Amino acid sequence: MATGAVLPRLLGAGVRAAPRGRAAQRGRTLGSAAAAAAREPERDSDRSARILSEPLKHSDFFNVKELFSVRSLFNARVHLGHKAGCRHRFMEPYIFGSRLGQDIIDLEQTATHLQLALNFTAHVAFRGGIILFVSRARQFSHLIESTARSCGEYAHTRYFKGGLLTNAPLLLGAQVRLPDLIIFLHTLNNVFEPHVAVRDAAKMSIPTVGVVDTNCNPCLITYPVPGNDDSPPAVQLFCQLFQTAVTRAKEKRRQLEALYRLQGAPGPHPADPAAPGAPSPGAQAQLGVGHSP
Amino acid sequence: MRRWINPEHCLVGLEFGNILPSSRTRDLIRAGVLKEKPLWFDIYNAFPPLREPVFRRPRLRYGKAKSPTQDIFYHEDQIRAKFYAAYGSGPKAFDLFNPNFKSTCQRFVEKYIELQKLGETDEEKLFVEAGKALLAEGVILRRVEKARTQQEGSQVSRKSESMGVESQTALEENPPLKEVPQAQHLESPGEESKGLSPP
Repeated sequence: MATGAVLPRLLGAGVRAAPRGRAAQRGRTLGSAAAAAAREPERDSDRSARILSEPLKHSDFFNVKELFSVRSLFNARVHLGHKAGCRHRFMEPYIFGSRLGQDIIDLEQTATHLQLALNFTAHVAFRGGIILFVSRARQFSHLIESTARSCGEYAHTRYFKGGLLTNAPLLLGAQVRLPDLIIFLHTLNNVFEPHVAVRDAAKMSIPTVGVVDTNCNPCLITYPVPGNDDSPPAVQLFCQLFQTAVTRAKEKRRQLEALYRLQGAPGPHPADPAAPGAPSPGAQAQLGVGHSP
Repeated sequence: MRRWINPEHCLVGLEFGNILPSSRTRDLIRAGVLKEKPLWFDIYNAFPPLREPVFRRPRLRYGKAKSPTQDIFYHEDQIRAKFYAAYGSGPKAFDLFNPNFKSTCQRFVEKYIELQKLGETDEEKLFVEAGKALLAEGVILRRVEKARTQQEGSQVSRKSESMGVESQTALEENPPLKEVPQAQHLESPGEESKGLSPP
């Protein structure tokens, strides 16, 4: 990953350059203020590159595993599928069995898929990506919209107009930024057909995370999560999990930015005792939380 | 900041090819069509999904091909079938709000298994003993057998007249199933009586 290619996008994405006053303070190690100002963008870009690359090295940087367990999925009735007649052929690998005609989803597989999905969501939120929650179930429309609002992201739970993603410049305006991740709480629309946004997101190379029930087609969804999408406790659990993942990731981003900004010059190891600033013990403890498995 | 991907670049492989969005994006970047790497690119490469999101056309199953999904049966289901055949739904209604709820049938099954562990082998005897044990605890079980057999007799004769072929094929399917053959044989009379009793 070339730092040069990354630089313009990051500066535009809201990584604020330090104000001139603080630059003069930190410039004590480098000498003249002019030299300090010249090296500012370089250090910013190094810092930003390190902030972005650091989480990718850990398998579970945001510790999403602790947010749920197989028991909590069971209690939320995530394992209950539709009747065997409604079963979609491509959901068969994710189904544990059929109890008196009702499909039971394998929660061990659900747990693995959910961990991957939450991890991806958290990483996208960490990088400041736009997340769109999509669902066409009217029963949960309000819940999903309030979930999106509470984590500072977006939701679309109404009629999905034809070219919204594929013809965005015409429908939404010339320079519109499309979502970087689409989360489907319900993959089907009100007539039990796959939601148009699934296919359109695949066309526009937008990764998708989706809760797929036993009557859904998981093929085009990047990170499918086999689970019940009809019971209120199950949908509430999924909303809560995604909200926590996004909020956690954004919080971690703020912490890491503050930490790296306070540490100043590039080079020091995050646990470097020589790093200036009082918050290092607290910040190190926070980093410790991120590093622990 | 141009972030809009021309969908014409992406339509190529959706239905017939198997072009992944990740490989498509990688090639577009290499060709210079996409000026900057999308946000998800590094994350996707670091944490790829278990299955690549490639389009597959759902094909129907023909002939004797059946789905590999298995039925879920437990050994206790045999006991439950006998209980429901003898006593109907049971005196207490199911309270599904309580996650630790034990129905009459479940208590009966537990008693049955306890007695079985003590060394009893005769099924009839175990059944009667379990019923007596529940009675000792204060649960009254009312048999519905006699009224049932009369209904069963008349309804079975009507069934055999109209759906004789269906019942024959159902009986034919039972022996080839190797999973829990005993359960199946015992389930069918249990299920038949369950189906015939009024809901």
